[in-house]
Amino acid sequence: MLVPNSSFSAEQAAGVFAAADEKVWLEGPAGSGKTSVGVARVLRLLEFGVPAESILIFLPQRSLAQPYLEALRAPSGYHGGQVAIHTLGSLSLRMVETFWFLIAEEAGFKHPQDLPTFLSLEMAQYMMSRVIEPLLDQRDYFHSVRIERARLYSQIVDNMNKAALVGFPISEIGARLKSALAAGPEQAHIFDDAQACAQAFREHCLARNLLDFSLYVEVFKQQIMGLPQARAYLRSRCRHLIVDNVEEDNPASHRFLAHLLETCQSALIICDRDAGFRRFLGADPQNARRLRRFCDVSLELKDSVVMGAEMQALSNALAAQLGAAAEAQQADPRLAIISEAHRYHPQMVDWVADQVSRLIAEEGVAPEQIALLAPFLSDALRFGLAEALDKRGIAARSHRPSRALRDEPAARALLALARIAHPHWRLAPPGMDIAFALMTAIDGLDLVRAALLTEMLYRGGKLHPFADIQSAAMQDRITFELGQRYDALYTWIQRYIDAKQTLALDIFFRRLFGEVLSRVGFGFHRDVDAGNISMNLVDSARGFRWSLEFMSRYDEPVDLGLEYVKMVDRGLIANFYLRDWLADSDGAALIAPAYTFLLSNRAVDYQFWLNIGSDGWSRRLYQPLTHPHVLSLQWPAGAVWTDDDERELDRRTLRSLLLALTRRCRRAVYLGYSELSESGYEGRGLLLETLQAALRRLPREEAHV
Amino acid sequence: MKLSADFAFTQGSLGDYADCPRRFELRYLRRMRYPALEVRQALDYEARIRKGQRFHKLLQQHLLGVPADLLARSLADDDELRAWWEIALSKGLDGLPRERRAETTLESSLAGQRLLAKYDLLALEPGGEAVIIDWKTGARLPLRKALANRMQTVVYRYVLASAGAQIYGGPIPPERIRMDYVYVAAGGARLSFPYSAAQMEADETRLTDMVGAIDAAAEFPLTEDERRCRFCNYRSYCDRGEAGDFNDFDFDDAEEDEDALALDFDQIAEIEF
Ligand code: SF4
Repeated sequence: MLVPNSSFSAEQAAGVFAAADEKVWLEGPAGSGKTSVGVARVLRLLEFGVPAESILIFLPQRSLAQPYLEALRAPSGYHGGQVAIHTLGSLSLRMVETFWFLIAEEAGFKHPQDLPTFLSLEMAQYMMSRVIEPLLDQRDYFHSVRIERARLYSQIVDNMNKAALVGFPISEIGARLKSALAAGPEQAHIFDDAQACAQAFREHCLARNLLDFSLYVEVFKQQIMGLPQARAYLRSRCRHLIVDNVEEDNPASHRFLAHLLETCQSALIICDRDAGFRRFLGADPQNARRLRRFCDVSLELKDSVVMGAEMQALSNALAAQLGAAAEAQQADPRLAIISEAHRYHPQMVDWVADQVSRLIAEEGVAPEQIALLAPFLSDALRFGLAEALDKRGIAARSHRPSRALRDEPAARALLALARIAHPHWRLAPPGMDIAFALMTAIDGLDLVRAALLTEMLYRGGKLHPFADIQSAAMQDRITFELGQRYDALYTWIQRYIDAKQTLALDIFFRRLFGEVLSRVGFGFHRDVDAGNISMNLVDSARGFRWSLEFMSRYDEPVDLGLEYVKMVDRGLIANFYLRDWLADSDGAALIAPAYTFLLSNRAVDYQFWLNIGSDGWSRRLYQPLTHPHVLSLQWPAGAVWTDDDERELDRRTLRSLLLALTRRCRRAVYLGYSELSESGYEGRGLLLETLQAALRRLPREEAHV
Repeated sequence: MKLSADFAFTQGSLGDYADCPRRFELRYLRRMRYPALEVRQALDYEARIRKGQRFHKLLQQHLLGVPADLLARSLADDDELRAWWEIALSKGLDGLPRERRAETTLESSLAGQRLLAKYDLLALEPGGEAVIIDWKTGARLPLRKALANRMQTVVYRYVLASAGAQIYGGPIPPERIRMDYVYVAAGGARLSFPYSAAQMEADETRLTDMVGAIDAAAEFPLTEDERRCRFCNYRSYCDRGEAGDFNDFDFDDAEEDEDALALDFDQIAEIEF
């Protein structure tokens, strides 16, 4: 038997063992065992004899699939076909790709007989830059906006995604933003510019068969769903639906699910109460609830199977402080908090590392049961924490999906060496980059000697052989062995330059990696991280080449390597890869931005909330060109966004964040506070205020914060 | 051995183990991605893999209802691909049972592990024949004996026999199963491998022994046959020589590797966080 009867509460069992033609709505807070019901339900359906290929598991994000995948792959598992697991994005892409030749013309593509090119986020931003940069210069677009260009592009991409997910034409982006946000003509101009850029980009894509996320979701909704072949396929593949975290999904997903729910045989829709923290990605919990009307049965799970009583009390106290209905406390929330105030930021980092060390050494906590969370994770904080933990012998892994790939040492080294090897680009790197690249590339070379080598052997954008060092003392200082390694690298690059046969950049990276850097005596040898990062860079450069090679049918060809390196310089390449995110977590504490932790949907024993004085915990990113709330389905047409709305949003954001975090914490939260922040300012954000106020309301004892 | 909780054995991973235990360890246990080249002529290799993938996609699209003439129009600039496509249509689908399923995956359990097979095409008739079609785009026909012994032949037939009951409408007698390799670049030559209960038993023993050996392995030694290192991208990790030559590469294996050159689109919808 795949699903044991005894391991569920009565409510859970009602969801798991519902009839194979029943549609069930299941709601409850995070940590109440809803996903366990979803997983067991899939296994139960298989046990019923439901064909695996007629089951669709639909999720807002791929990383949430892990518990399902693991259960389906359990050794005692079923024999048969494969259960499909999709997000709206993955399903849309697959369907558009499959039925492309049936819909391309109707969807308005100029070359319907050619293949489509799907754009990753970084490629969409790059293509956007190609379309918009001339407009920025010619028409003086966005002249009053002071943000990095990469962020400008990403906000225009974001607007287009919102239009597809919420369900309004891109021609309304400007008007919607203006009516709610434009305080004067200057701001109105900005939104007009954003509108014009979105439209120019869409036209550019239609003329070249390019499909960014917004366009393939749009084509899926408009064309694919009307296609008999596609509908027949979906009907046969989606007879039994399992939808998890429906509150984190967007209106386009909800509409698609409503369509399936009308005809499917059974369904389990799982909704997390008080969540919806993916709003910045289009989540619409209110709209999700409308799917309830398609269900025959509604079930509710109330009790957390994660939080202890004190943690539950803390969760309630914080939510109540931020406007939720107060609940009678069964325990003292102060027992779920450990905190210590510090004057300076580095002191806080040390305190955090000491506490982590103590938990592991004295209380036997497994490192993977500890998450160190901050609203944003700067390189300095990430590095400081990792180093402090390392000193105490504790392994840590960190993931910051929007960190630029060029900031990873392995990628930086490969990029710097590529610049030297392609002198015709005229992009010789500065000496510091070369010293850094040599240190990374050559095993045993420290930064001091790498800097010396650079000073003596890097001239006019070129490396020179080790023998060019005249002073024997200096050669000794570098050492003969390291000199030989340097020469091997130098010779490889020089031969490449002399051959005058420029390779595709991704192939160049692969050869340099395989023929030198991963060999014995070089920095990437047997280094798993360097291998993975190099592979991510190769994937990114190859995706870039493929897209642009295909476009050379329609546009003037460009120097692909040079263009790619410029794109990296503009910060357009990030390290968004899910496979790294899911890498084995055993034996290492996690360092991550709070939202990244939440999106992996797992609970830990201990959380450390760092920089609790920062207003980043409640405040949304500065995004002058877009607005997740104004561009949502819930925003009333014609309403104006006010300061009160902003304050209320801060409170709601923080409330759902704190609920989501505490519900994924079993034992205690450590609060990391320093009077002076990383950048030396005093911070008194809403989180700190809330913690203090919530604890002040408690009887007798003094507040700890 | 510690495989990830969502791991399933495939003909590819078992083939890797049979070739070199160390490769299995690096690829599936340590999940090490390693960008070194498989062959010296990297762009030729890439173009060949992409063309093979495009061909498989075309057949999948066709079997899901996209008309052949519409698909053929997209092949105007590639004579070779068009020739493969025409041969597949004219010879590959001949005389197959009515019910056809493109790109179907079946899973079964074996010796406490999951075993998975992804089929290009399954053609079956409840109570009648169950035919596995595997498209090959290599121009050279392998020796029949080598193909019979190939991990793909072993795994695909075994998994269909043990996990195909639902799509067949009841247990499939092994004698009803046949696996056809169709070589579209060799004029549509077809190499067929029927199945039997005795063969299934022998396959089960072989697969169980392999999975058991992997399960029990404390070490994953490097292969002693260094010829197997020529096209392995871990060469520099193992200090095992230089990349092999494109013309010696067997594309039959690469064709089954879904991840070869796959772009990762999971990053797509994520905005700064
Ligand atoms: S290089 Fe050779 S020894 Fe190393 S993993 Fe590959 S096949 Fe095995």
